[in-house]
Amino acid sequence: MVSLLEMPQTVTQQLPRQNETPVEETEEATVMIDVRDLDFAYGANQVLYNVNLDIPPQAVTAFIGPSGCGKTTLLRCINRMNDLIENARITRGAIRLGGVDINAPEVDVVDLRRRVGMVFQKSNPFPKSIYDNIAYGLRIAGVNKRSQIDEAVEKSLRGAALWDEVKDRLDEGALGLSGGQQQRLCIARALAVEPDVVLMDEPCSALDPIATAKIEELIQELKRQYTIVIVTHNMQQAGRVSDYTGFFYLGKLIEFGSTTKIFTNPSERRTEDYITGRFG
Amino acid sequence: MTPPKHILGTFDEALSSLRNNVLMMAGLAERTLDRAIKGLLQRDDNLCVTAIADDEEIDQLEKQIDKDGVDVLLRFQPVASDLRRVVASMKLSTNIERIADQATNIARRARKLNRHPALPEVEIIVPIQAHAMTMFKEAIDAFAREDVDLGRAVVAQDKDLDYMNKMANRKLTERMAQDPKALRGYLNLIFISRCLERVGDHATNIAEDAVYAAAAEDIRHQTAAATT
Repeated sequence: MVSLLEMPQTVTQQLPRQNETPVEETEEATVMIDVRDLDFAYGANQVLYNVNLDIPPQAVTAFIGPSGCGKTTLLRCINRMNDLIENARITRGAIRLGGVDINAPEVDVVDLRRRVGMVFQKSNPFPKSIYDNIAYGLRIAGVNKRSQIDEAVEKSLRGAALWDEVKDRLDEGALGLSGGQQQRLCIARALAVEPDVVLMDEPCSALDPIATAKIEELIQELKRQYTIVIVTHNMQQAGRVSDYTGFFYLGKLIEFGSTTKIFTNPSERRTEDYITGRFG
Repeated sequence: MTPPKHILGTFDEALSSLRNNVLMMAGLAERTLDRAIKGLLQRDDNLCVTAIADDEEIDQLEKQIDKDGVDVLLRFQPVASDLRRVVASMKLSTNIERIADQATNIARRARKLNRHPALPEVEIIVPIQAHAMTMFKEAIDAFAREDVDLGRAVVAQDKDLDYMNKMANRKLTERMAQDPKALRGYLNLIFISRCLERVGDHATNIAEDAVYAAAAEDIRHQTAAATT
């Protein structure tokens, strides 16, 4: 997150906050992220083909599919993480957040990434204190008042269900926390800047079942306030935590629908074969 | 179309074993019902006793299917059609076990009837048992072949069976008034007719589960839902 937040601002257009009237498509109140006709390529290698997807607000949307199907690429498109990769680009289509094209030249990528937080597969706390991990993004955003930062640190750690475990050792190094705690700290860090969307790229793949359960429980709490998009290889996890599921295969969105529908009666044979473990 | 095999071969084996046990249980229940009815119509106590004894094996299979079903859920966490098949198999076994119970009840009533002179009214039971047996066999076929149309057709047949049972009750009740000495015999035939009507209800449940397993469609209680 550091490098992202430190990226130079080029903004003139502010993205609308969640629950604000979108700048453009006012009729799309039930859509937080609108992916339209999206093609994406790494150089000459096209990895997403004509993806169309409406991600609803305040719900958990899971992307599933075999390795290399493009689900993480799409996730990274949502906060323009792919901008950091040379020759990686959207070749067609658009992604709109609250009605605004996130790739429009006037959109500030720093603001976008503040609005669309991200949690990675492996927890990546800064080699700083627990407190400073949370405070970092706020300071970058220009918040310097100690009381304000204190309040945000507590709120974020409570939001990430970590406060009770660390409240007495906020000055201790974050790297001393367990893997599960570190991952929740990273979630807290993402929440500190009050995003609308939290992207999670296999957030539990390096965690034991107890730590995984805590993160999954946390996801259920967070969706009351945030729009969550999660990439997971764990089918049971997708079934447990998500409200909507999209199945990707060879760069195409094969099927998108309610998780209950996808996991009990998918419409597409390829979805059925994948989720039942008939290919992968 | 047969779905491709799972990457995990043991998953295919477990599903296949579950399905085979359900079909074997259905075959045993069908045989038990057939023996009970033959015991009645042919006044053969031995067939009745065999039908009653068969129930034990069917009860054990019900427990085995439940155990295997839970095991599959635990080990493989099935989803989509696999999940529906496991759930349907477990529900089927309950209904098949109850059909076998009805067969046992019929056999017990038949033994009571066999102690007394034959009642010509026993012929009333013949079309009822034929209808109930057809429903049961077709419901199992619908499950085995994942035939949604056949499943629906079985459900539609239940009204006819209910009507046949009602008519039988009426006729036998009339005979009770006309011939009070044979009252117990007529009463036993009424119970047997009722048992067969219940077999039809369980066959309907099986057919509904077969449709769910094949097409993820819940066709239960549709008439009631439509009128409320």
